[in-house]
Amino acid sequence: MKLIARLALFVCLLLATLAVATPAPAPMNAGEELQHVDGEVGRYGGHLVIGQRSEPKTLNPVTASDAVSREVIGRLTADLITINRESQRTEPGLAKSWTTSADGRTFTLKLRKGIRFSDGHPFDADDVIFSFTVYLDEKVNSPQRDLLIIDDKPLSVTKLDQYTVRFTLPQPYAAAERIFDGLPMLPKHILEKSYREGRFAQSWTLNTSSVEVVGLGPFRVKEYLAGQRIVLERNPYYWKADHENHRLPYLDELVFIFAASEDAQVMRFEAGETDMVSRLSAENFALLNRERARTGTQLVDLGPSLEYNFLVFNLNDLTTKKLDAVASKQAWFRDLKFRQAVSAAIDRDSIVRLVYGTRGTALWGNVGPGNKLWVNQTIPHPQRSLETSRQLLKSAGFSWNDAGQLLDSNGKAVEFSIVTSSSNTQRMKMATLVQDDLAHLGMQVHVVSLDFRAMLDRVFQSFDYEAAVMGLGGGDPDPNPEMNVWLSNGATHLWHLGEAQPASDWEREIDQLMQKQMITLNFQKRKQLYDRVQQLISENLPFIFLATPNVLAGAKAQVGNFHPAVLDHYTLWNADQLYLRTESRGGERAGIR
Amino acid sequence: MRGRTPLLVLALATLHLMAIFAGFIAPYNPGAQNRELPYAPPTRVHFVDASGFHQRPFVYAPTFSLDSYEEDRTRELPIHLFVRGDTYTVLGILRSNLHLFRVDEPAHIFLLGSDGYGRDEFSRLLYGGQISLAAGLLATLLSLAVGTIVGTVSGYYGKWVDESLMGTAELFLSLPWFYFLIAVRAFLPLHLSPAETFLLLIGVIGLIGWARPARLVRGVVLSARSRNCVSAARGFGASDLYLLRRHILPETFGVLLTQAALLVPQYVAAEATLSFFGLGVSEPVPSWGNMLSTLQQYNVLVSYGWLLAPAGALVVTSVIYWLLADLLHSRLKSHSI
Amino acid sequence: MKYLGRRLLRAALLLIGVSALCFLFTEMAPGSFFDEMRLNPQISPETISALRTQYGLDRPLPVRYARWMKSLVRGDLGYSIAYNIPVVSLLWVRAKNTLLLTGTALLLTWLIAVPLGVLTAASRGRLLDKAVAVGSSLLISIPEIVIAIALLALAVRTRIVPVGGMRSLGFEELSKWGQFQDVAGRMLLSTLVLVLASVAVVERHVRASVLEVLEAPYIHAARGLGISRMRLLFRHVLPVAANPAISLFGFSVAGLLSGSLLVEVVTGWPGLGPLILEATLARDLYLVIGGVMFSAVFMVVGNFVADLLLLSSDPRIRTGELDAG
Repeated sequence: MKLIARLALFVCLLLATLAVATPAPAPMNAGEELQHVDGEVGRYGGHLVIGQRSEPKTLNPVTASDAVSREVIGRLTADLITINRESQRTEPGLAKSWTTSADGRTFTLKLRKGIRFSDGHPFDADDVIFSFTVYLDEKVNSPQRDLLIIDDKPLSVTKLDQYTVRFTLPQPYAAAERIFDGLPMLPKHILEKSYREGRFAQSWTLNTSSVEVVGLGPFRVKEYLAGQRIVLERNPYYWKADHENHRLPYLDELVFIFAASEDAQVMRFEAGETDMVSRLSAENFALLNRERARTGTQLVDLGPSLEYNFLVFNLNDLTTKKLDAVASKQAWFRDLKFRQAVSAAIDRDSIVRLVYGTRGTALWGNVGPGNKLWVNQTIPHPQRSLETSRQLLKSAGFSWNDAGQLLDSNGKAVEFSIVTSSSNTQRMKMATLVQDDLAHLGMQVHVVSLDFRAMLDRVFQSFDYEAAVMGLGGGDPDPNPEMNVWLSNGATHLWHLGEAQPASDWEREIDQLMQKQMITLNFQKRKQLYDRVQQLISENLPFIFLATPNVLAGAKAQVGNFHPAVLDHYTLWNADQLYLRTESRGGERAGIR
Repeated sequence: MRGRTPLLVLALATLHLMAIFAGFIAPYNPGAQNRELPYAPPTRVHFVDASGFHQRPFVYAPTFSLDSYEEDRTRELPIHLFVRGDTYTVLGILRSNLHLFRVDEPAHIFLLGSDGYGRDEFSRLLYGGQISLAAGLLATLLSLAVGTIVGTVSGYYGKWVDESLMGTAELFLSLPWFYFLIAVRAFLPLHLSPAETFLLLIGVIGLIGWARPARLVRGVVLSARSRNCVSAARGFGASDLYLLRRHILPETFGVLLTQAALLVPQYVAAEATLSFFGLGVSEPVPSWGNMLSTLQQYNVLVSYGWLLAPAGALVVTSVIYWLLADLLHSRLKSHSI
Repeated sequence: MKYLGRRLLRAALLLIGVSALCFLFTEMAPGSFFDEMRLNPQISPETISALRTQYGLDRPLPVRYARWMKSLVRGDLGYSIAYNIPVVSLLWVRAKNTLLLTGTALLLTWLIAVPLGVLTAASRGRLLDKAVAVGSSLLISIPEIVIAIALLALAVRTRIVPVGGMRSLGFEELSKWGQFQDVAGRMLLSTLVLVLASVAVVERHVRASVLEVLEAPYIHAARGLGISRMRLLFRHVLPVAANPAISLFGFSVAGLLSGSLLVEVVTGWPGLGPLILEATLARDLYLVIGGVMFSAVFMVVGNFVADLLLLSSDPRIRTGELDAG
């Protein structure tokens, strides 16, 4: 009797362990066309724990609008063509090869054969067609739809056979294959039903059972604890392998824990609860650096990022709005010499030192040194000179009174406010430094910090602001994603929104140049055009560029294949190749001793 | 107990006078940035050097080497008393440029170190006291005034007056005041000076905060109203106003005083919370609240402990007010018996 | 009974008032959920407007309010724009976590503050009173946020307790006792902050009201009759001194859901606080309104409890003037 009881217990335990065991990589099929990646060969096993600033809101790639959700979704899904974050060039993804027509309008993609989704269901062209149908559907309102519209016309997708798909663009588009990165392929067998019923937005929420969230990424959902963590486990059918033919990913589990703020993230990293941390602030980086000898933490400073922070003056047409106070100041803002004077007075070195702890770079244009491929090296980087500022202001008709205040040609004291988002301490600091710099010129500047959306409302909707410190960029080094910032009728043409006609000659020239580079397929020719755009921008100062932070990331000593990159996602872009060098579980269960 | 009174009054006066005369006592203007000296530790004042004791204390200029600050021992720079420096105003009326103490360039005397922009923490603490103390006092006065009126009326007259007033109080207490503050902050015109914006926000806090004192006062008034002495007096034909003034309101003093002594530091702390969300006084005007907000950054809290000075100031303020409240309480009690 | 009926009516009116004001404030606060997309040059304004229409954000305020009221009757508080999940389920999960935290903190606070307040009032002016006075001044004047961050930094440095979250990885594999230890350990920090932040206030109030009663003649008489100090304090003085304390307790219960926002955000406790804060900043309307309504309900319940307690503890109020009818 006792023996049977023991056996029963043993069997139960065995089953229990099996039930929670992580799936092992599926054995290789003859017909599977895997992608083999280069790089260090790792070892299987382990959990990697990484902290996030807040909780992901949804697992639906179409409705996800915040960076945190996309961080998780990116590990669950795969694209046809991806941009390698290290080389910044495109490489085959789910599409193993493609051919382009001579006019650059038609792409014929050959899909890998024998690939399966995370639930074992095969992947083929039907899923591709389904995915693009969803993205292009006007009733779904997916943000991805705008990526697929060129010159107001959507691209079209046709299925040629089970593993071949053809895309036809309405016009030639430079670097068109970059579009496909960030457009994950959706499983038709799971999502078609809710799509047809018009309930697509309600699919793949955090409440959805993990079995239904099916994708082609290296991981799949294991469990979700509200407000605490989401646990991903290995996708046993993942279609990549290392060059020794071991199926990736190496990790058993990838765990995202929600840490509420960047400082909390760093604290938990220090406490040993997480294994990696990306986008550190300079101060936290310095803090971890001091401990490096003792802890062996890998810390990487990747150099300048692709984002650019700037001061922008309100140059919108305010005739229909009742904003007289702001409108009267626009006479100053519209004067190029005024903007040049402001730019010359700003102490960019201090910004880099005090805001980014020297781990940053000053900017004079929208493309910084972090974008090696596209940066225009000939743009001047004038040093700070209050003398130059004063000369410029004098020649523009400004003068100073006895108290040192700056007066315009009508004798009115120059006074304005800079709005900035209260949730971004770096930009607040920049605004404070700028305020002090301009005080040396006799300008009275107030810094007004508003909550993020209130600020956006003023900049995009009500135009009730005078100047703002904001940041853009960081997505892709290619100029095409930035079109709407520089085109005069673009929706992100911040300083002057809603222009029916270009407001100035240089804006007209930029329009023409940007349109041309968009359809030019030769890289050298595009570079020439874009160089001229950068030159015009830095000469005419619609934005007064300030600085950009360096990309700083850290990981525990035992994280292998840690290769952070300047592009999103900085540390997890190669999650399928990350591995743990020692046997320990990636996150210590701190507290249970 | 009696002997402590002059000491306490002195402490309170000193606290407020230091804030009023911040311009005189502080060596620098609160907005003066020294960008080469961010996060400098407090300057050490020396009396003794290689050649012996000096009557006049001196400092060394700070230099930055190898990731930390060192003293440059080549030059001794004495501290001067009663020197001319930056101009300032006292209570907005009196202009002067006389400072209590200063040091010659290139040294700086950072008695409490410097912040992230190299601004003197000691000077900012004094100027910040102006804003924070004024805020606490004003908001408290406002809350107590409104709360007492409402609570008394409510507790005294009872019935539907009580119901409606307390209902309004509950409404105020359940308001999403954070959202409200965002809304108010966000559509305030940009042209208000930082000081005006701040006073407006304090007004909002004070007005939202009347509900709690009101409820407490009401509780006391309710009990007091039912006392025998009150019924007796009413039987003798005393008017409502007389009853309130003579019998009931004095009962509330205890509660009001405790409330006042509690509310002042609480409202100063409320200002700190507002600054936490960026809704308080904005840069570069210092207040104890926005000076503390940089401490949310973990590395600042751990590495630059001297920036905790405003917390110390808050503690000092609170202790003084508490002692005062206790004193007044015992005084009033002895009178009513 | 009539009294209870009136209180209930008042409660209902209050909740309606709160909801109306909520809608009003959310309307006043500029910006909407999809504004963040405007910073992305690759998303067109047409898509953003279409999304706003899809979620009903462009309808006028009265229409939205009416629809919300209608669904409220069915127990549906609407959908969160960010999560696309019903608000009720989102709130409920987090509210349980918050209640665990604040309930424990409330209990501990009062367990410590009431005896302490009585004792310091009784030993007024002596060492115990002075020591507690200094301690409580300190606690009151340090803003909750600083207490939270300082304790957090301490916890991280010394690794005594784990920080953030409610359950460790591998929670499911622990024994019942192990699970209890895990949650308790993670809760320790946040609970400590809450207790430290509020114990001083309660202690002061108890002390002040006890002091008032201690000076009453009948207490002196009782002393003269030889009643022991402890019995005097806790059997005779405390019930009478309880009046303002009871209002305070009602407030404490009322604040169970809303008082811990800061602490939760700083220490990473997965409660209602971080959820509502993010929703507020992101303008996730129905989530914010739902969260406020949750807190408002607690508020009403708390006040109701306070009134009942007041009624039962002070018989003078019961008989007559309060017009129970």
